[in-house]
Amino acid sequence: MASVGDTSTSTIEAPVEETVTGTDTPWLVIVWNDPVNLMPYVVFVFQKLFGYSTEKATRLMLEVHHDGKSVVSHGTREKAEIDVVRLHAHGLWATMERDRAS
Amino acid sequence: MVKPRGDGVVLTFEAEEVAYLRAEVGRTTGELEGGVPQHGVDPVRDRLFPRAYVDPTEDRAEREFQSVVHEDLVLAKSTGLDLITTALDGGRERRGRTEVVVATADLEGWVGGLNDVRLVLGTVLGVTDDDPDGRDRAPLTAERAGYDWLTDVQGVLISVLMGEA
Repeated sequence: MASVGDTSTSTIEAPVEETVTGTDTPWLVIVWNDPVNLMPYVVFVFQKLFGYSTEKATRLMLEVHHDGKSVVSHGTREKAEIDVVRLHAHGLWATMERDRAS
Repeated sequence: MVKPRGDGVVLTFEAEEVAYLRAEVGRTTGELEGGVPQHGVDPVRDRLFPRAYVDPTEDRAEREFQSVVHEDLVLAKSTGLDLITTALDGGRERRGRTEVVVATADLEGWVGGLNDVRLVLGTVLGVTDDDPDGRDRAPLTAERAGYDWLTDVQGVLISVLMGEA
């Protein structure tokens, strides 16, 4: 769906609004593939919760589907927790972990 | 199964479909009870209320997270499930079938409620493939057929919600 090399890869970089110091490592919110959630439903949830375009939401959904998981958002621990609970409220299997790459 | 009507859609169910949907909504509502989940005990509740932290060194943060968010999660899930039950209660009998109106404003609640019902049933049944064609390979038990029917109903409502139907 999305073209290769689009700007969407920037979503897994450290957020610009934060100063990353010591323990302030950014957190990644990951959605895992599961056999129950329907593909269009996952696209709908990504769009609703994160305001992503149809293209971006679809690309993330396909990443979940084909690769088993996808990083769908990132930020401080608090922001990641909020995103995770919103995803859980919608029945998606989401977890959070520190961005070791940063 | 679904017809547009005014500000929403009408779902037409057979009597046994209404009874089945009620029972599964009831089962899912029951799974919401029991307080903050202890992970690793019950796969159904693990799926309804997944862990947030994968790193075991974050167990303390995980416990805090679960205790803080649990009530809100239960409320969010109950809202969708209750919406379905209320709509079924208000269903209209017509030629042996039941017509249930789903207002546009309630579509999202229905879709979310059906999703939780499918999460519970899918976990109980051990549904593992997410390939729609895989249905034919799965042993077709009555419960699996019920699950597939719920999938179809949810799929239709998602299409309506996303403006594709």
